[in-house]
Amino acid sequence: MMVLGKKKKIKWLIIILLSVVFVAITVSVIIVSQKELPTEDLRIAREALSEAKEAEANLYAEKLYKQSVQMYDSAMVNWSRENNRFILFRDYTRIIAFAKKSKKVADEAKDESIKKADNLSKNVEAAFVSLAKKIELYNKLFKNLPLSKSVFDAHNKSKMFLSESKIAHETGKLKDAEILFKKADIYINHANTAASKMLRDYFNDYPRWKRLANDAIAASKGGNKVILVDKVAHILYVYQSGKAIRSFDVEFGPNWMAHKERSGDKATPEGNYRITSKKERGSTTYYKAMLLDYPNAEDRAQFAIKKRKGLISRGAGIGNLIEIHGNGGRGFDWTSGCVGMRDRDIDDLYRLVSSGTRVTIVGSIEPLATVTGGVDF
Amino acid sequence: MKSKLIIAIAAMGVAVLFSSCAKVPQAEVDAATAAIQEVKDAGADLYVPEAYQALVDSMKSANEKIEVAKAKWFPNYTKAKDLLVVVSQMAVDTKAKSEARKVELKAETEALIVEVKALVVENTELIKKAPKGKEGREALEAIKSDLAVAETTVTEVEALLANGDLIGSNDKIKAAKEKATSIKTELEEAIAKKGGK
Repeated sequence: MMVLGKKKKIKWLIIILLSVVFVAITVSVIIVSQKELPTEDLRIAREALSEAKEAEANLYAEKLYKQSVQMYDSAMVNWSRENNRFILFRDYTRIIAFAKKSKKVADEAKDESIKKADNLSKNVEAAFVSLAKKIELYNKLFKNLPLSKSVFDAHNKSKMFLSESKIAHETGKLKDAEILFKKADIYINHANTAASKMLRDYFNDYPRWKRLANDAIAASKGGNKVILVDKVAHILYVYQSGKAIRSFDVEFGPNWMAHKERSGDKATPEGNYRITSKKERGSTTYYKAMLLDYPNAEDRAQFAIKKRKGLISRGAGIGNLIEIHGNGGRGFDWTSGCVGMRDRDIDDLYRLVSSGTRVTIVGSIEPLATVTGGVDF
Repeated sequence: MKSKLIIAIAAMGVAVLFSSCAKVPQAEVDAATAAIQEVKDAGADLYVPEAYQALVDSMKSANEKIEVAKAKWFPNYTKAKDLLVVVSQMAVDTKAKSEARKVELKAETEALIVEVKALVVENTELIKKAPKGKEGREALEAIKSDLAVAETTVTEVEALLANGDLIGSNDKIKAAKEKATSIKTELEEAIAKKGGK
């Protein structure tokens, strides 16, 4: 009887125990199932991040994009941590908050990126226009100046960088386009600054040129023919009675903007000269020629002063044989400092003037503003 | 006898409960992560950015699936494992795409180099035929200088290519081609004008 009672007790104990376990499991399942998992929020955050990346937020809204990535990563780390805890003690609130924040910031990053990319695109386009104007200015005012190779190269490099920038812009690489544009801008600014300085410095002598030109024109008023050479315009005028009766295109040496001061400098002298002799065909290698009295007294004086000051090397000579000669019409400045003309033009000039004719060579008859057509540079 | 049966069933239940706690597929995760890193090292984020981004997104999705499974009473990683297999395969495909794009880009750049070099030679010949009157010669000097820049760019592109900068070299050679082509057009127009006179 006692054994039977004990067995019954155990049986009941087991039933009660199992019932408790069953109830506990059921309650736990209910509790767990009531808990909101962060799955959907994380999916949304991930997709928002992906869209932000697609909008290149990592480039144009870097800070926000990084924040969003960090929040997503934090959500994932926290989720993993929570999952390692006992199921009944898990709390996904923070994870959901991180995921929601990540989505919000990713959206902001996307919007900011689109806005910034759009602005950048507009800025780069505006910069292209500004750069094209600078290139145009160079082509209009400076292209024909005897600029140094570095200036010339800087101009060409700027054009190449501009092309590269345009390609980058077309392919949507706006940051690259901006970097390349900035390089192009640096080069064109260097070229234009150097060229404009050269031009302005050169025109510092304009008052002297003006005086020389006026004197030459005045000297022609008695009926004498006077030759007036405008280096910037590359024109040789023949004046008589105060009026230009003929004009010819001329060429000079590659260093024509400088005033000749020594032998071999490829510069054309500026000042008052005279034709000392006329050379017929056969007497010159340049078809026909008219020799000038360079160096004149003033040239010699200047040469001596500069040599004393050490501005000209001790071994340098002053140079001579500056002529107005033929074989020109080449379209560029090729002489050793002489004034080059087309053969048919020197034929005409040869007939017009004689030995002793005054030849005045100036940098420019017109002031800088007129030469540049009023272009601001 | 009955009580023994009940105890056995309860014990089995507990055993099943614990045996159901499957392990996180860490080996698959590690393999997929390594594969993605390999793809990135191969430059896929530069050469096939869309495909690379899709790969990264898929890996994130797989990680989420793992956590979803972990959050359950009885974790089941089958879906996550399946996705990780897909990710690993995607990594292989993306790497192949990236390599193919690199080959394509290199071939395109090399072809453009040949093209630009030919244009430089052609332009040099055209310069000889171009009119050299007033303005003409100066314009030609400017063109020569422009051409020299295009020529220098080719050298730069070759150096970039040798250094493995496939995108930079491709962009640069395209600009050089544009320049060389515009010079050619300019010269041909000048020659045509001369012929027309």
